[in-house]
Amino acid sequence: MKAFINAIVTGIVSGSLYAAMALGLTIVYGVVRIFNFAHGLMALMGGYFAWVILTKTGLGLIPAIVTSSIIMYFFGLALYGATIKPLLRKPDWEMSTIVFTLGAGILIENSLLQVFGPRYKVIPKFFQGSIKLGYVRLQWHDIILLFLIIIFFIAFIIFLKKTWFGQAMRAVAQDMDGARIVGINLHKTFSHTFALAMAVTGFSGILLATKLYISPPIGWDWMTKGFVIIVLGGWGSVQGALYAALILGVIEALTMLYIGTMWVFPIWTVMFLVVLLIRPQGLLGGRAA
Amino acid sequence: MGNTFTWKKIVFLIFLIFLALYPVLHGSDYIMHIFNIFFFWAVVASNWDLIAGYAGTLSLGNVAFFAIGGYISGMLAKFFGWSPWLCILIGGVGSACIVVLLVGLPSLRLSGIYIALWSMMFAMVLPTFISQTKDITGGVRGLSEIPPLFAGITPMISYYINYCFFLVVLIIVYKTIQSSNGLAFMALRDSRDFATALGINEYKEKLKVFSLTSFLTGLSGGFYAHHIGDISPALLGITPFLMGLAMVMVGGLGRFPGAIIGAFTITCAGEYFRLAGTWRLSIIGALMCIIILFFPGGLMELVDLLDKRIVGLRQRAAVDPPQVSK
Repeated sequence: MKAFINAIVTGIVSGSLYAAMALGLTIVYGVVRIFNFAHGLMALMGGYFAWVILTKTGLGLIPAIVTSSIIMYFFGLALYGATIKPLLRKPDWEMSTIVFTLGAGILIENSLLQVFGPRYKVIPKFFQGSIKLGYVRLQWHDIILLFLIIIFFIAFIIFLKKTWFGQAMRAVAQDMDGARIVGINLHKTFSHTFALAMAVTGFSGILLATKLYISPPIGWDWMTKGFVIIVLGGWGSVQGALYAALILGVIEALTMLYIGTMWVFPIWTVMFLVVLLIRPQGLLGGRAA
Repeated sequence: MGNTFTWKKIVFLIFLIFLALYPVLHGSDYIMHIFNIFFFWAVVASNWDLIAGYAGTLSLGNVAFFAIGGYISGMLAKFFGWSPWLCILIGGVGSACIVVLLVGLPSLRLSGIYIALWSMMFAMVLPTFISQTKDITGGVRGLSEIPPLFAGITPMISYYINYCFFLVVLIIVYKTIQSSNGLAFMALRDSRDFATALGINEYKEKLKVFSLTSFLTGLSGGFYAHHIGDISPALLGITPFLMGLAMVMVGGLGRFPGAIIGAFTITCAGEYFRLAGTWRLSIIGALMCIIILFFPGGLMELVDLLDKRIVGLRQRAAVDPPQVSK
């Protein structure tokens, strides 16, 4: 019983981290309509930027997160302007962007491998120590992570619903031509959405790095998990991604407890297959891909 | 493509004849090995091109089809001592069955991205199963001491067997593209609504192309396993996947001999890039990005450009004189 409850708590914590990670993927698909196969590596880049800032400049964790997210924002802006924008004009843009982002992911992975080496890098936790509540032993770090992610999601949803740019993003996601008619600049929205998604992704990569570790090949792992999450949640749906990530995080933790760490990836694969067979449009039924 | 002999076909035929004559003319073991690798990869790449370029369904698991064929054939030949020829055939059929049942049926009724994602995850999960079934598959270290096609085989005979297999697959792929099924694939790729309105069953056509591709790719895996003598989960890693995709992209997606030219280029360039050491993968990744961005037609686009120049010159030679005399 004790182990079970602890596993559920661990699952919720890792699930919320995955939710933050999958958010970038789902908004890029929802608005720009491309599948970003370099997503996991972009999250890793955020983590590595933060690691460099932490170890080389001696700033704290919070400034490192902010700086890294800003760098990722401008990186996303540049990447969109230089590569994705011309690709979107082609007739077979869907396949081109998939192959391009795959190539970019491999390029980023191997460049990171060259620069930082294959050894695991760890970003220090926010706060050491833990508290005990009944059955459950909670680390302060996990509590802070949960709060951060809850606040982050609430802020993001408010941003989507209340600000002008968030509304423009939703309008483009719902109907591209309609958005154009009311005077929304499509490419500007695309580029800033992509850049915002990169910043969010980098941010989530740092949080993941504080909880787990970073090493270049793990980016593919994160990316696949992100894809399973947004398929289960519904393509382009923010709330769906959150629920799906929590469900899958708990399943992952229970798998680790009862079956073994070896089988975590196969279980994700099986979950993906189950979603494909039963409900390919996802929990909240986002736009069918 | 007309029925007459254009210079493109002549160059391609000369290339094939050169490959056929190479062991007799020069016969360096190292270069023959590279050509053997090229034959296996050309089969994988041309099938990948058939599925992605012609049928328009991006499958990312073709290297896994190759590995499944190789493993089935290698295991049967090693543990039961059956004739490798039979094992290769069973490997191909087994690969087709596994792929169609596990990858095709769940994902093909959905749209493109699910196929890409699911075939990729399928390829990524296989190493776990291989490492967990150490007794049968050899686990992480791989399956070694797979018997060759027949006892006392020489490298030259092996080379010719692989070459013939490559030629047969080449013809099958070419005939498929020319057939009515090939037309159906292309119609679906170019305009899905129009094609389905004409009565093409999308699901059926895609299942057909999936089974054909996985069968031929699995056969290639079997020939590979018996030629090399061992097979390991490293085949399912990122490097072979990237090499295969780069071959299709470099050659030109959906332009028939393109994938084979791409396979030749990447196999040779891959050997050369070994000099670049650990930067090799970065270089290939960057190459793929650049090709997608600036030369989406790959090498075949270059050939077409050249073709226009040559045909243009000949036409001008044929048309100009009367104009000049006038």
